[in-house]
Amino acid sequence: MSIEAAAPPGLECVQVSKTFGSVTALDRLSVTFSAPATGLLGANGAGKSTLLRTALGLARPDAGQLRVLGLDAVADRREVRRRVGFMPEHPCLPADLSAQDVCVQLARMRGLGRRDAVRRTSEVLFAVGLEEERRRPVGSYSLGMQQRTKLAQALVHGPDLVLLDEPTSGLDPAGREEMLTIVRRLSSDLGIRVIASSHVLEDIERTCDEVVVLRSGTLAAQRPVQVEQALTGPVELAVSGDVGEFARALEPLLAPLGIRVAPTATGDIGLDRSSDEALDVVRDLAASRGVGLQHLVSASRGLEDVVVDAMGVHGG
Amino acid sequence: MAEAPGGAGAPRAVLHDIRYSRWSGTLRPRPTAVASFVASSVRRPLGLRRSAGSKVWPFLLLAVAYLPALAVVAVPLLVPQVTLQPTELISYPNLLATNGVVLLAFVATAIPSMLTRDRRDRVLALYFATAVSWVEYLVGTFLAALSLLAIIVLGPMLVLFVGSIATADDPGRWVADNAADLPRIVLAAAVVTLFHTVLGLLVGALTSRRVFAVGGYLAVVLVAPVVTVLLATVLGDEWPLALDPASGPIRLAASIVDGSISGPGGLAWVVWALVVVGGSAVVAARYSRGSDT
Repeated sequence: MSIEAAAPPGLECVQVSKTFGSVTALDRLSVTFSAPATGLLGANGAGKSTLLRTALGLARPDAGQLRVLGLDAVADRREVRRRVGFMPEHPCLPADLSAQDVCVQLARMRGLGRRDAVRRTSEVLFAVGLEEERRRPVGSYSLGMQQRTKLAQALVHGPDLVLLDEPTSGLDPAGREEMLTIVRRLSSDLGIRVIASSHVLEDIERTCDEVVVLRSGTLAAQRPVQVEQALTGPVELAVSGDVGEFARALEPLLAPLGIRVAPTATGDIGLDRSSDEALDVVRDLAASRGVGLQHLVSASRGLEDVVVDAMGVHGG
Repeated sequence: MAEAPGGAGAPRAVLHDIRYSRWSGTLRPRPTAVASFVASSVRRPLGLRRSAGSKVWPFLLLAVAYLPALAVVAVPLLVPQVTLQPTELISYPNLLATNGVVLLAFVATAIPSMLTRDRRDRVLALYFATAVSWVEYLVGTFLAALSLLAIIVLGPMLVLFVGSIATADDPGRWVADNAADLPRIVLAAAVVTLFHTVLGLLVGALTSRRVFAVGGYLAVVLVAPVVTVLLATVLGDEWPLALDPASGPIRLAASIVDGSISGPGGLAWVVWALVVVGGSAVVAARYSRGSDT
């Protein structure tokens, strides 16, 4: 089961602004979440939670338009509620009810008949690994079990889009692994669009197709998680011995191929392209001089670099 | 789901993961969904589908509320020498007055917390984002509270009414003579339950702490009678008694049933209407942003 390419984007913001007193949470934000699974990254206060809350109708945008699955998030609230599932980060489950009762109750409030609600509850609790513990009060659950209960209730009515706010928050390594597997399945196997907010880049890389980075309520970056590395793109080269001497010897050999050699910021040798012929030249030169190749890696900027720069971790 | 590897183009066996699948059935109309919310909201304060301990207090109050009506019905049924009708042993207004304390205790412990517990558990984010609108939430909570109080207020009076039929020498004639009591009983119960439902929810809407909600409601219904009596004594007039939120609605209800308790007059109706309409407006305003906070 896959998401149709022609389907409307999961979330679309056009010049959306939201302020709380003197604090601007969203500042004329324009962004479209069209990938099957999108990771929402940003530092604390970047506007992630406000964006999710505004999309869910829990906060009204001061300006701009926000569409969820092609529906106006304000005017079409009823339809949005029907088609969206939400897993908040904070505890949101009645402590004295069992996971079974929580899911059945929410499923029925969302319009499922009793038999469907019970059947679906059994399915989702089984899928998240809570079938054995489903009759215990939620208050007696571990944090991981509560997280899985929250995910189960978000899926019980068969939504087209689920918004997950920090789905792995507070989970131990095993629980996190299970949660990431389930989240990845949602979009890849079950055709459910996913928007997952997280602080952890690795979680987003493992579960999402695209990453959106917010900073101070604005779009700082948006790019696919997996980028085809150009096989002939720039590379960085480190060798044993005198790097400068090796670079000087390499430069006239690569010049006829139209490849420039320049030092990198880390003191390695940078090649602005890396055709097969160029790499053969490097290999042969190293062999003839008895120099060891310590590393030869693509110089393309990875996802982590892009995200770190966009979040302004270094620059503030 | 995985496809078995194999030769070109030939159909292959497919393994289906049946643990979870998308659901695409038809959703029920919204009133059905709200009705299910009402049902679950009624069950919770009664402790149903919860631990045995959480059933003790509500069912103790229910037992106390039904005891007088059941007793006066049981005595003529079990003791043939007693020829009195149950309604002659205890009238509807007296039954209302007798159950007044039970009603206040039940409202204090059950009604405000119907709102405070959802804010305490922070479940409103789920409700408003993916399940019900704030209007559906309030309507559902209101109907659930009304139903719970009807069990306490209307139920015993219906027991008395039905018990009177059962113990009558000529049940058919008794029904013919007393059929007009039934709508008056229902109306009287509606006056009491509406007032305390709105007052309980109003207190619950103004604080997120259950203890403050219970205390707030008790303060209103316990302190106000003392103040109104003092005021009446000082002024040497009965009109301040109409301001008493504890006995006022019960006196109004009694006047509807048969007027055996002196009528409190127009001011009591004004107070009743102010609390019901004004309280409903405040509760609606509190939730009208549809926010979960």
